[in-house]
Amino acid sequence: MTKENHDDHEHHNHLRENETYYAARTKALESLFREKGLIGIDTVDRVIRFFEHDMGPFNGAKVVAKAWSDPAFKARLIADANKGIAELGLKDGIEGENLRVVENTATVHNVVCCTLCSCWPWPLLGLPPYWFKDPVFRARIVREPRAVLLDFGVTLPDDKKIEIWDSSAQVRYFVIPERPAGTENWTEEQLAKLVSTEAMQGLDLVKA
Amino acid sequence: MKVQHFLGGIENLGPVNVEKRVFVEPWEAQLFAVHTAMMGTNIWAWPDLRVLAEGMNPLDYFKYRYYIKWLGGMCKFLIDKGYISEKELQERTEAFLKDPDAPLPATGNPDVTQRVVDYFYRGANPYRDIVVNPIFKAGQKVRVKDMPPVVHTRLPGYLRNKIGVVDVVYKGAYLYADNVPTDGLATPQPVYLVKFDTRDIWSDIPDSKDVLYNDFWEVYLEAA
Repeated sequence: MTKENHDDHEHHNHLRENETYYAARTKALESLFREKGLIGIDTVDRVIRFFEHDMGPFNGAKVVAKAWSDPAFKARLIADANKGIAELGLKDGIEGENLRVVENTATVHNVVCCTLCSCWPWPLLGLPPYWFKDPVFRARIVREPRAVLLDFGVTLPDDKKIEIWDSSAQVRYFVIPERPAGTENWTEEQLAKLVSTEAMQGLDLVKA
Repeated sequence: MKVQHFLGGIENLGPVNVEKRVFVEPWEAQLFAVHTAMMGTNIWAWPDLRVLAEGMNPLDYFKYRYYIKWLGGMCKFLIDKGYISEKELQERTEAFLKDPDAPLPATGNPDVTQRVVDYFYRGANPYRDIVVNPIFKAGQKVRVKDMPPVVHTRLPGYLRNKIGVVDVVYKGAYLYADNVPTDGLATPQPVYLVKFDTRDIWSDIPDSKDVLYNDFWEVYLEAA
């Protein structure tokens, strides 16, 4: 074994040991919480299912598809996002008590970030993915958004104006991406399937 | 100065990790769910977690993955507040290290699950419907104050001393938190959306029409 391989191997073992420790410590926390009556037997499973089925990016995709299909709805949504999503039967709640929807157009591209932590519109997108919470994303997106977009595989025309939304107080921001060409006769269900989580924060473009 | 307050604009960090999963290890989902039980039963709230993240060694802050930092913060908080003892946590951790598949105790508080789900839909709106007289008007130029360093802030470092234009004066007032030390957020106050040309934040970046918006509590602004 070369020295480099050996170091890699050691490094890998070290990481695995850490993950085993974190897993044991987390299990210890839940175990103590159960004994002390601070959590239910089914709480962890229920919370995980909640973000898989009730509060997730499928809500946001439904909102985008409706906004693309119904300009009057889009106008109401942009004027008052919490009332707008309620029209679709979507509930707001934690990390979405004060939502604001902004729209990407031929001339403006919006991106959302939280440089101080990880504020994110939970009722529409569920929980933030790893990249959004990573300090490197948070540090770079505000100063060099085009370079960060390239890391996500997105190239914008040079003359497109970028609007960056840093979530530092009560508002949680959500982006309606540009509707892709060639989808004029698509149903809302078909349109919703095209929309990624990243597109709804301005880090992806929607393609048909 | 705390690096965690000044992340925006740091250079030479290399590519962004575009990992799209929320949880990259199974234990992270379990830890997150324990956290929501703490939120839903008022054991703690976001400001408590943020205080701990901002109090970390900044090099560790960059080194450790998001939920690894949460794990450290949650354990410290629960021990400091007396919910669990360091000894019992250590002993239980060692027991699960020896036997990772050992079952969890078949006991718990059956009310907590519904309280957590109710909390997800109820939220914790910081809006306070009180009469306030906002100092600044839409269209007015404002300068971001350079507040002294504190345990916890909602003022991004890269915007300190910068000049922008008030875009929105939000209706009413908002209360951030009065249970942790902050730089002036313990009373309900107006919040403003302020718009900056990015070239007014960083004079050395390429010329563009790009703009940046940030929401500020009133205490962070002065007339420019």
